[in-house]
Amino acid sequence: MHNLLSRVNNISAFLSSCMMCLMGAVALSSLLYTADPKGTLTIKSASIKENEIRYYHRKQEMGFVGFKIDADLTPLFHWNTKQLFVWLEAEYTGSDGVTNEVAVWDRIVRRKEDAYLKVNGRQQYPIKDMQKTFNGVPAFNFTLKYNLMPHVGLLTYGEAARADGIPYNSTSRHI
Amino acid sequence: MFSEELKSFRRLGFRHLLLQCLNFASVIASGLMLWKGLGLITNTESPIVVVLSGSMEPAFYRGDLLFLTNPAHERYHTGDITVYQVPGAAIPIVHRVLETHDMPATVASVDPTTPARQYLLTKGDNNNADDLALYNGLRFLERGHVVGKVRGFLPYVGYVTIAMNDFPQLKYALLGGLGLMALIQRE
Repeated sequence: MHNLLSRVNNISAFLSSCMMCLMGAVALSSLLYTADPKGTLTIKSASIKENEIRYYHRKQEMGFVGFKIDADLTPLFHWNTKQLFVWLEAEYTGSDGVTNEVAVWDRIVRRKEDAYLKVNGRQQYPIKDMQKTFNGVPAFNFTLKYNLMPHVGLLTYGEAARADGIPYNSTSRHI
Repeated sequence: MFSEELKSFRRLGFRHLLLQCLNFASVIASGLMLWKGLGLITNTESPIVVVLSGSMEPAFYRGDLLFLTNPAHERYHTGDITVYQVPGAAIPIVHRVLETHDMPATVASVDPTTPARQYLLTKGDNNNADDLALYNGLRFLERGHVVGKVRGFLPYVGYVTIAMNDFPQLKYALLGGLGLMALIQRE
């Protein structure tokens, strides 16, 4: 009853249940902490050019975008924040009726000190439509979204800024 | 150390051994029921997965445990982390959705409970390029390829299974030890 094996067994069982309780408390308590920071998103330029996709060896139209982000996401950093995944999404409906959501830019924020985003940038991923052309697309909606990734617990999502109804600049269109 | 156990084992006899076997089997059966029941509720074939590669670092490392759900009526969004397996791939892959393309609902298939057909493109946070080269010739992922969406996260715990995969002796030692304990325990 009181041999070494049973003592080791008891202690490890006790420790692991303590650990489970602690992690459960951390995961649940961070759900009570709700921050909804908002920032501003400015689309500086949006253009369409014909480019080649190397993987398919074929040419198609691609959307390019220049933007400015000013968003203070520091309130999202609390005791259970491992990192933020922030991305800029373009949303549009094609002439074929397909609704498209495409990430054009993303960034991983790992420290609270880096969470005040002041970005003056361009797309990392050009927008590519399944139809190879953007003919008949009235406008694009851009959204800055974030995914809070915890040390332990549930992943949460949110939206930090929007810029709706951005028409693509047709003058830079050379087809 | 085991002489005492052996003595009691002789005293208790064959019926006791059978009872212990039954107990052991019921433990295994209830574990399996729990797993399959969880799968039914979350609508995925494997509700808990272990991260096997570093392509989502620094979000997920090898050995982290992920909890998945896959509601049939919910579409996927950009930024969702999906676990998918394309035909011909050996292991499921955990990557983030980069693009979604929702087909318009056709008149024939207007059923409000089923979402429209959706095409997905994914990318690992730690990879430079999207996953096109991993799709075995497919242009996009579809719902049928997706095992589930990552909802919850528990670090390190899954490393036990990775260790057991890398060192099979550990697996046999653990299983044998558990079986022996179940047989000789007096309860």
